[in-house]
Amino acid sequence: MKKIEAVIKPFKLSDVKDKLMGLGAHGMTVTEVKGLGRQKGHPELYRGAEYTIDFVPKTKLEVVVAEDQVEKMAEAIISAAHTGQMGDGKIFVTPVEETIRIRTKELGREAV
Amino acid sequence: MKKLFVLFSMIVLLATASFADAPPPAAPAGEAPASAAPSMAQEEPKPDPAGLATGDKKDAVDAAGNAFVVAEPTDKTAPDYAQKKKDFDDYQGQATKEPLAVKLADTVGHVRIATNVAWTLNTGYLVLFMQAGFALLTVGLVRKKNAAHLMMLNFAAYVFAFIAYYAVGFAFQFGAVAVNAAPTNLGGTPTLNHFLLGSGLWGFLGGKGFFLSGPAYDAGSHVFALFEVVFMETAGYIIVGAICERITFWSFLLCEIFIGAILYPTFGCWVWGGGWLSQLGNTMGLGHGYVDFAGSTVVHAVGGFAAMAISIVLGPRLGKFGPGGKVRAFPAHNLVYVVTGTFILLFGWMGFNPGSTLGATDLRIGVVAINTNLAAVSGSATALLFWYWKFGKPDITMACNGMLAGLVAITAPCAFVSPTSAFIIGILAGLVVCLGVLFNDHVTKIDDPCGAISVHGFGGLLGGICLGLFADGTYGAGWNGVGATTYLGQAGRGVTGLLYGDTKQFLVQLMGAAICAAWAFGATFIVFKAVNAVKPMRVSKEVELEGLDVPQFGLPGYPEDAPSPLGS
Repeated sequence: MKKIEAVIKPFKLSDVKDKLMGLGAHGMTVTEVKGLGRQKGHPELYRGAEYTIDFVPKTKLEVVVAEDQVEKMAEAIISAAHTGQMGDGKIFVTPVEETIRIRTKELGREAV
Repeated sequence: MKKLFVLFSMIVLLATASFADAPPPAAPAGEAPASAAPSMAQEEPKPDPAGLATGDKKDAVDAAGNAFVVAEPTDKTAPDYAQKKKDFDDYQGQATKEPLAVKLADTVGHVRIATNVAWTLNTGYLVLFMQAGFALLTVGLVRKKNAAHLMMLNFAAYVFAFIAYYAVGFAFQFGAVAVNAAPTNLGGTPTLNHFLLGSGLWGFLGGKGFFLSGPAYDAGSHVFALFEVVFMETAGYIIVGAICERITFWSFLLCEIFIGAILYPTFGCWVWGGGWLSQLGNTMGLGHGYVDFAGSTVVHAVGGFAAMAISIVLGPRLGKFGPGGKVRAFPAHNLVYVVTGTFILLFGWMGFNPGSTLGATDLRIGVVAINTNLAAVSGSATALLFWYWKFGKPDITMACNGMLAGLVAITAPCAFVSPTSAFIIGILAGLVVCLGVLFNDHVTKIDDPCGAISVHGFGGLLGGICLGLFADGTYGAGWNGVGATTYLGQAGRGVTGLLYGDTKQFLVQLMGAAICAAWAFGATFIVFKAVNAVKPMRVSKEVELEGLDVPQFGLPGYPEDAPSPLGS
């Protein structure tokens, strides 16, 4: 099993979710985050004084899938979250040692 | 120090309570002082707690203010004695012939007072609601880590300034109002007739009505007291906007007690309590004396300049000014609150200004209401467009400051000017607030998180001065006892500004506004410079950086930061 972590533009969340569910994902976890990447911050003015918005709002989506699903899930995220502009986000894939469903105590693939 | 302060507060509260338990003065409701014979006029007037003797035929007046009852002339040497005596005799003859008309006039007079009481109370409630608007506005403008601090300041300001005003503030301000400035629309409050300092046309401090008891335990007086206490509260909460995010709570309570008991009532007495500034027309021939209809200076500039003094004593927030004086922004954390709060304040101002007629039977309220709104929108438009032009983006918080500055500046002149003038006054106020904010940031380096000094201090002075410029003479005949029959050679002419031919009114407005700023700034600065020398009024650096909410009040401001275990 692998965990796919995608940091995306918040307004793309709905598209990404629809694509993943369409491909058979059983669930996902979403967090509102702020981040700083190559997009960098941008200067703004408040009451005439300058300040920088360094960390811009992003959405982090986590989904755990079977290894053979990783590629098509990642491609789905890319196609749904892509705008071509700076700040589209990143995808990280990490191995997951175990998954347990609390209600039934099922393990591994059955629990995802 | 903190414990001493709490102890002191409790002693004051206890003293207050025991005073309030004293038996009320005997004032049999059936014994109407209003119907007393002329020979009894020398006797001390009695308070009327039940309101059964307030409002009779003497209060029955027509739209132009002509009374139904014609008084007997007493000065036989007066040139118009013969005419007045004839009018009196005619009235007496009519009254004997038509006793029912006299009885009906008693009812008409009572209903007039009752109408004005209803108006004054309800507009007072609108002013009270401004407290909520100000709480939202100021909390939205500061950083999230100080939200509970701001809520507590706004809340405690109302409570503690109220107690101070109840104990002594009202008496200092209005204890002699019947001498020169009786609110006739509310029945006149004849029992408040003694100056503690000064006398006659040179009164400096009122001296009756402490703890709203004794001579002030009167239905009409209490209507007045309710309306006036919420005005004082406005001056009280103004300071919050400039001194927040760094002041200790105990010293803030001292500030509020000082404003409610001494600072506000003193200048208020000079202008509204029949004090010396209001009588400069009678004593020195300066127009109608110093005039401030609803409090650009009496309320707003007093609050604004007190705020400036305390802000200087405290110093700027950590990090506000970088090396070389570079101005750093601490952006507002909730613009939704800022705009909602501003509109609540605008709504409350519909009580603040029109209510200051103290009566719905004064139909000028229509003009006052529209003028107030016009200055609000022109002030807001000016500030918004100025910022848009200067910085490339309109700033919502400055647009809100502009609306409030327009409101503050129209508060003194609202009853005396035309809608065109009101619109221009709003434009001037919008410019003043923008330049004021930039001036404090870049020149004086006084840290004013919410723009309170610019909106209320500078905007308030502008209002007092604009009255002396734009008053067009259509309203206020006989104001402050000047020109009841004719003014500037014209019957019925009221308060008149420089642009309409009264230079002296302009001069007295300049003088009064300057005295207001000097008094509010000077007295506050001296008192709190001394307090700060005894014990620093500012929180520690660590507390300021963490945010004052938890260190000072034990709780963060928002539910998502609540310290209870997650999911409970």
